[in-house]
Amino acid sequence: MTVTRQVPPFGTVLIANRGEIAVRIIRACHELGMSAVAVYSDADAGAQHVRLADAAVRLGPPPPTESYLRIDAVIAAAIASGADAIHPGYGFLSERAAFARAVEDAGLVFVGPPSAVIDALGDKLNARRAAASVGVEAVPGTLVGVPTERPDQVAEAVAMADRIGFPLLVKAAAGGGGRGMRRVTNSAELVGALAAGSAEAASAFGDGVVYLERELRPARHIEVQMLGDDTGRIVAIGERDCSLQRRHQKLLEEAPAPGLTVAERRHLHELAVRVGTAAGLRNAATAEFLRAPDGAFYFLEVNTRLQVEHGVTELAMGLDIVHEQFTLAAGRPLSDVALAAAERAADPDGHAIEVRLAAEDPSRDFAPSPGRVRRWVMPAGPGVRVDTGIVDGDRVPPDYDNLVAKILVHGQDRAMAIDRLRRALDETEIAGIQTTLPFHRFVARHDGFRAGDVSIDWVAEHWDGPAERARSVELAVNAAARAVTAPDGGDQSQPRVRAEAIDPAATTRAVVAGPGPADGASDWAAAARAGAIDRWPR
Amino acid sequence: MASMTRLRVTDRLSGERLGDRAPAAETATAAPQPNERSVVLPAVTPSRVRGRTALEVVVAGWQFELEVEDADLADLRDRATKDRGAVIHDGPTEVRAIIPGRVISVDVTVGDVVTVGQRLLAVEAMKMENELRAPREGTIERVATAIGQTVEPGAILVVIR
Repeated sequence: MTVTRQVPPFGTVLIANRGEIAVRIIRACHELGMSAVAVYSDADAGAQHVRLADAAVRLGPPPPTESYLRIDAVIAAAIASGADAIHPGYGFLSERAAFARAVEDAGLVFVGPPSAVIDALGDKLNARRAAASVGVEAVPGTLVGVPTERPDQVAEAVAMADRIGFPLLVKAAAGGGGRGMRRVTNSAELVGALAAGSAEAASAFGDGVVYLERELRPARHIEVQMLGDDTGRIVAIGERDCSLQRRHQKLLEEAPAPGLTVAERRHLHELAVRVGTAAGLRNAATAEFLRAPDGAFYFLEVNTRLQVEHGVTELAMGLDIVHEQFTLAAGRPLSDVALAAAERAADPDGHAIEVRLAAEDPSRDFAPSPGRVRRWVMPAGPGVRVDTGIVDGDRVPPDYDNLVAKILVHGQDRAMAIDRLRRALDETEIAGIQTTLPFHRFVARHDGFRAGDVSIDWVAEHWDGPAERARSVELAVNAAARAVTAPDGGDQSQPRVRAEAIDPAATTRAVVAGPGPADGASDWAAAARAGAIDRWPR
Repeated sequence: MASMTRLRVTDRLSGERLGDRAPAAETATAAPQPNERSVVLPAVTPSRVRGRTALEVVVAGWQFELEVEDADLADLRDRATKDRGAVIHDGPTEVRAIIPGRVISVDVTVGDVVTVGQRLLAVEAMKMENELRAPREGTIERVATAIGQTVEPGAILVVIR
């Protein structure tokens, strides 16, 4: 029997990211026989992605602008470590055309679409026009920016808004993660919303151009994974439903989208490929759509990078998107595996669901809750995959995105995937920080979710965080009383805590809770506002 | 030592009293549902209130910071706190132990005249010294304990008239 091994696409790859996605990409590098170089800030010196990499280069202090967003430092690290290629992950520099261009200029390979494509599609107005040019209907709205500096422009803006209809959204052309976005219910609010949205966009993205889009409600958020090679061939590897969101950021994704017919899927995939082809897409990208209650799909935007939720497509479609990214970046054609996945994309066999465990308090409007992890038990077993960069005892720094783990499940159908999700989440134990785990447990048990009745308003309509937390108070009080009870009725001078729950090392570590200078974790929310440059990876 | 009859559980952050529980075997054996398993860890920082055990409890993914103490003891402390604010009355005042422990010093004898806040004695518990001070001024009528004696919550230690 002959054993054939694929020649590694590259010798050494630098991963310009941190956390779970850096770990995930390092794993792909090692699977493909490539060396992986990590980069890190001082907040991540001991992080899992640094430990797993073959080499690691320090970028600077914790703030992203002084570390992971420094194009010069990342390129220098790649050159110094002998890397041939840079994978940007998501967030940080992944959708900065200037970064992709700097990588190209340094004679290295950027694992993603060409800088010109990132540039063109990064501007949402540009992307809307590209879609319109190939007959793909975008969410109704303007195809140009809406300035309001002069009185005649204001009058024109009001006229445009009246044509689009209320309620509508003011959106930033350079936007992402809901920044620069304003909801407008009548023409009196319009001018103020345009000014506020523009100012926020200018401060967040350095680009204050805003436009108008009708608010589609209720709607589902459905996106299509695309892969493209250097011959210009682009295929769709199925779609994902990402309707469960809070603050325009995703909490749960699944593939395929529930309730679509094969014909509807085929149609949606074809729309995405048309937009991707018009834009000259290469490597991996995702086209996002809204699905209106009448079933119509409206194009939203293209994300020119690996998506956080790419794993559900991998599980449902049976391929490794990061592997594909590397071979495509090396100039190889779309693999047989990718082509086969595209072939069955409209009628996949299994179903996959991902939940994003974030360091947030779902009883306090998903407020950030960084800190030291004191217990970290992740689920395993049939059909379960966990992507994380956290190990027990790690500190979740306040400087970055608060995603701590992605728990993915796969089953032969959606019902089985939900059963596995419920089981996997019941196995999950995290202490030291509050996470979104209770929310995900709620979803996994919800009849409406099981019925596939989802929309982007689902969280607001169904989730009552304080009430859900209150339900657990009784059990917590019982557990505390049990723990302190001395079974021998004797010495009360020592607290009795369930032995299996005690981690002696963890008890000596400081937990950052609430405002305070300890560990520099004083105020995550303020840090997020101040660090306004990073476009969160959603 | 003390066999607690009830345990009081308090929310550490809000100070809210969440409930009293019997520490008896039935609560220990009442197995929680598989989806309601709890994780209990000693809190990173101990309670500021003497006699309280600070815990981090996680149930169904919710993180709670709780403090547990003997409910009778807590009641006594609350009463003592109330007494301190009350107007001086003529009857005798009984100073009782508010935590279980061992008397490590007695600073007054019968006939001593004491002022408010004056140290009367000290009880050691959980390796901490807990001072008992005079809740009112008066004359020591009786000293009901001695160094080395083990006391239970509620036991009369000193009477002031």
